[in-house]
Amino acid sequence: MSGVSSRLAAYVQVISFFGAFLLFWEYGVRYFEVKSYILPPISSIAVAVWESKDQIFEHSMYTLGEVLIGFTAAVIVGVLLGMIVYVSPFAQRTIYPLVTALQTTPKSALAPLMIVWFGYGFISKVAMAFLFAFFPIVVATLGGFAGTSKNLEEHFRALNAGPWRTFTTLRLPSALPSFIDGCRVAMPLAMIGAIIGELVGSDRGLGNLIMLGTASSRTDLVFGCIIVITLISLVLYALIEFAAKSVWWRGIQV
Amino acid sequence: MSATAMKHEPHPGQERPVADAAAIHIEAKGLNKAFGKVKALEDINFGIRNQEFVSVLGPSGCGKSTLLRIVAGLIPYESGIATIKGEKVLTPRPDIGVVFQTNNMLPWLTVRGNVELGARIRNMPAAARDSAVDKILEVMSLTKFADAHPHQLSGGMRQRASIGQALVLDPPILLMDEPFGALDALTRDKLNVELLRIWQEHRKTVMLITHSIAEAVFLSDRVLVMADRPGKIIEEVVIDLPRPRNAAATRAMPKFGEYVAYLGKVMGVTS
Repeated sequence: MSGVSSRLAAYVQVISFFGAFLLFWEYGVRYFEVKSYILPPISSIAVAVWESKDQIFEHSMYTLGEVLIGFTAAVIVGVLLGMIVYVSPFAQRTIYPLVTALQTTPKSALAPLMIVWFGYGFISKVAMAFLFAFFPIVVATLGGFAGTSKNLEEHFRALNAGPWRTFTTLRLPSALPSFIDGCRVAMPLAMIGAIIGELVGSDRGLGNLIMLGTASSRTDLVFGCIIVITLISLVLYALIEFAAKSVWWRGIQV
Repeated sequence: MSATAMKHEPHPGQERPVADAAAIHIEAKGLNKAFGKVKALEDINFGIRNQEFVSVLGPSGCGKSTLLRIVAGLIPYESGIATIKGEKVLTPRPDIGVVFQTNNMLPWLTVRGNVELGARIRNMPAAARDSAVDKILEVMSLTKFADAHPHQLSGGMRQRASIGQALVLDPPILLMDEPFGALDALTRDKLNVELLRIWQEHRKTVMLITHSIAEAVFLSDRVLVMADRPGKIIEEVVIDLPRPRNAAATRAMPKFGEYVAYLGKVMGVTS
């Protein structure tokens, strides 16, 4: 069974690569005598995370809440706006150029403004997550609708399909793969937005914990937070990937 | 060349006398269509009788698909008139089934889902729809593939499914826009035979757009030949081959070869 053995070999490669990487980190910093506030050995990061696990968990949930609410709001507003721009030539002339222009604004530059507008707490971070996730979703949704096959649209017209029927039976399923692609891009961006918001000004969340760790030279804790943020992002991304599996007709033209 | 077998119109585009006007299903009179400054169709005149099988034959880009879209009510036209059963064509009609060349299946639906799509859109009652779909899947030899998705089928099977989709509604008029144009020659021949069988069993008025001379001769009662730039009908040939036709016997007839040769000459394929 060459299939099984080649997959086994692939696993062995991956595990030994990362194992070697971690070992090099662990003993490299000791061997080269790197100061622990610059780069702590991986074992002390693990210890730091374990010792502060309750604290990290609490801050993680807070950040996760910001990301999920911001992302959900971005999906709702993004899809609605994408649909409005798609059906209305007026919106296409007015709103869409505005959206495109705003997209080029560095969203991180808006973080201080969000804090002025919405305060130090939860809402300003939700707003940041929203701002980061919103644009890819609008663009992808609109692209999905606009990419509906002209042949199929004509086919539906030949069948006297009404606008609502054409929308639910043809345009919506046609737009789904592109929409999911938008979500794939938007989900990690929502996390980035929330963390930037927390770094700029907050009293809770993983970004806040990073600021506290940096201020007290707890580089091990900072690394721990970065790793936890990455793991949460990966899990969220995996959830999107899982949802994307149900939209299997991506790229299939028949 | 047995010229007696063919009716060559001395002045193409002129109105032909028809015995029973009520039996004219599809008609165009002085039809013109332009896309911007490009004239796509010029002074198109023809009539297709009830249950007649007429092919429109022409090179690609001659406007034959545009003509079908006008008759189907999918695009507007500038002057002249197109009628279905004497009524001016304004929008797509429920008594017409249209089969397109490609990309006419929804990839996320099964074969059954695609075949019943038209029936669903036109709100056919569920019981009637189910039995009609079962019958059509049977006729199209797709029963075994009812739960497959279109991308799992061959091109020929997909085209059978899209013809089936049009037939489920049992429309008296069938418009086909190069339905076999994207298929290989062998599959195309097979589907020609199947289409002929279906047409002989369930008579319909058919307007078939094609660029295959053999296909047009084999299937049609009459062939309208179009030339391009601007698209106009330059010749009309009555195919006087006996019916019911049969794959091997009809294609082996000397007259079949003569029609093919003559149409080739008209189209400038052979000299």
